[in-house]
Amino acid sequence: MPASPRVPRTPRDMLDRLVGRLQIDLLVNLTLRDLRSKYKRSALGWTWSVLNPLVAVVVYSAVFSVFLRIQPTTGDPSGLRSYAVFLLVTLLPWQFHVTSLTEATRSITANGPLITKIWFPRWVLPTSAVLARFLTLLVEMAVLLVLIAVLEGHFAFAWIPVVLTLMALQLLFTVGLALMVSAANVYFRDVQHFLGVALAPWMFLTPILYPLNMVPEDREFLGIGYRTLYQLNPMVSWAKAYRNALYDLRFPSAERWLAIVIATVVVLAVGFRVFRGLEPRMAEEV
Amino acid sequence: MASSSSDVAVSLDGLGKKFRLTHDRNWTLKATMLAGHRTRYEEFWALRDLSLEVEHGQTFGIIGGNGSGKSTLLKVLAGILRPDEGTTTVDGRLSALLELGAGFHPELTGRENVYLNGAILGFTAREIRRRFDDIVGFAELDRFIDEPVRNYSSGMYVRLGFSVAIHVEPEVLLVDEVLAVGDLTFQKRCLDRFAQLKAEGRTIIVVSHDLDMVGWLCDRTAWIQQGTLQAVGPSSKVIGQFAIGIDPTTPAAHTGDGERPAFERLSPNDLVKSVALVDPNGHPTNVVGSGRQVSIRVRYDNQAAGEPVTVALGLYRADGTHVASINSGATTRGVARSNQEPDGEATSELVEVDYVVPALPVQPGIYELSVALHDTSMRRVLERHTHILRFEVSPTGIDPQNGLVALGGTWEAR
Repeated sequence: MPASPRVPRTPRDMLDRLVGRLQIDLLVNLTLRDLRSKYKRSALGWTWSVLNPLVAVVVYSAVFSVFLRIQPTTGDPSGLRSYAVFLLVTLLPWQFHVTSLTEATRSITANGPLITKIWFPRWVLPTSAVLARFLTLLVEMAVLLVLIAVLEGHFAFAWIPVVLTLMALQLLFTVGLALMVSAANVYFRDVQHFLGVALAPWMFLTPILYPLNMVPEDREFLGIGYRTLYQLNPMVSWAKAYRNALYDLRFPSAERWLAIVIATVVVLAVGFRVFRGLEPRMAEEV
Repeated sequence: MASSSSDVAVSLDGLGKKFRLTHDRNWTLKATMLAGHRTRYEEFWALRDLSLEVEHGQTFGIIGGNGSGKSTLLKVLAGILRPDEGTTTVDGRLSALLELGAGFHPELTGRENVYLNGAILGFTAREIRRRFDDIVGFAELDRFIDEPVRNYSSGMYVRLGFSVAIHVEPEVLLVDEVLAVGDLTFQKRCLDRFAQLKAEGRTIIVVSHDLDMVGWLCDRTAWIQQGTLQAVGPSSKVIGQFAIGIDPTTPAAHTGDGERPAFERLSPNDLVKSVALVDPNGHPTNVVGSGRQVSIRVRYDNQAAGEPVTVALGLYRADGTHVASINSGATTRGVARSNQEPDGEATSELVEVDYVVPALPVQPGIYELSVALHDTSMRRVLERHTHILRFEVSPTGIDPQNGLVALGGTWEAR
């Protein structure tokens, strides 16, 4: 080692080191870049990020609630029965999932000139792509809470801490996935196409448009119940937990929390592992 | 820590970097799965067995032809590429100027890009805020800093990129061919800034094709060819070796030496006995100030030639550019006669001629001199010594100047 690292002395020192270690300044700047540049030179600008979920909820409500007559569960204990709210509390986190992964996948390949010219920790690229989307989700969720309070008389504000915890865990989970797909996409551009194909069925295999109890419990595939297989999808736990907190106004069950925490830890750890392994030759392959 | 290694800022030990040349890259997962691990590629060592040490406070040049591995070396040093063999050790905060404004986003304003680029280069927001005015001032973009950079001219773009990079205050700065930025005034300021960094004791590693600049800026220089180290040492010496190395007409045995006049090549049987630069006081020298007086003194054996000769001189820049040629015409005949002994019996008659240049009209840099002896009709070459003398033209005066020749003018207000 050329020089021994400085021993942190004051809390300020330690904070500075932590900030440096987590690349906070770089993350903030790259996230702001994503957000600022996203709607530059578009007439409607930020309206687009509101329009997107709005259109989705109208179309999905029409198709699934009106045409296909899917009944939302009755909120227990909230007593709420509204397909739009039922849908939105899971749809918004799902759209965060989709857009984060889509944008993160290309985050390294799209920044090729940067990667080959400047050294900086590469993990900040997919991470900031996810963070930019996460800030959008925060705004969307806040708007949603106000809207359902005003329109439906449904007050979920007391559950904000629970929702924020769920969102924070989902953020980490998504970062883990983003690290994997972004690094893999440098070596195989198939990943971005594969993701486009995989995300649509993934949505239909997650209880967003319909309640979980519509998945049959009594039928089996290779001796395993449909419902059990179905729940191997970690997004099921998040969807259910979001719906518990915001629609039912109920604390998600311990099993849900356990599944969520395990999924988060595993995916984040594997994500960093994979990224570390693929990082060294990125500048050559990008 | 050992005291001997404490003044080493950058050290390379047995460094090797290989690339895979795939003529038919498997860009798809399917192709790779089908081909298994039998993916065909050719390995190509861009760098091999490279060991170097750069001391703290040194300005170090890296020269070499295209594809010699110079830029790969900088990228390995910068951490962008990982070496396949050997190690690199960098002591101190490192910043690399490989491409200016590489992190700029066209849709963002100059101001936003300064913060973004600074963060990518390792600045904290606090550090940038403190230097922001300096950065913008240096780039001369005060009026345009809140414009999106897509509206910038390419000059404004690189000026801002340079300005951010140069204000990082690195302990070790890597520079790749980026000094030719902006107009002359800005280039001058860049060079001043480098001189300032140098004076502050920072370590600078420069990769360039501009041998004059390397010779002028760098204390030591390494010459890399096909990924291996050809020579390392004082800049003028290495640049000389490089210039000869790339000129196939020059015998390989001749290695020009910037510190002494190179006479090793002259054999006792040659007509030309010595070639030297002489300052106005009559002392031999190897460094001439641009625009200063100098004489080229050629001593040759007139008797052995067996006939009157014409002396021809050729002046070349170290990169091979032909600067000037002059021949003495009939003048040297007179010189020879006047020196002749009355009895004319001598078998050897040494003649010394000076070509006096009152104000050497070339830009600072490394130059080479070729000498040839012809018959008086200039039809036959009696003897030719290409690139026999290497010398340095040092900068003089304060006016920034550039190009091939030094005009030697003065500014006068009217």
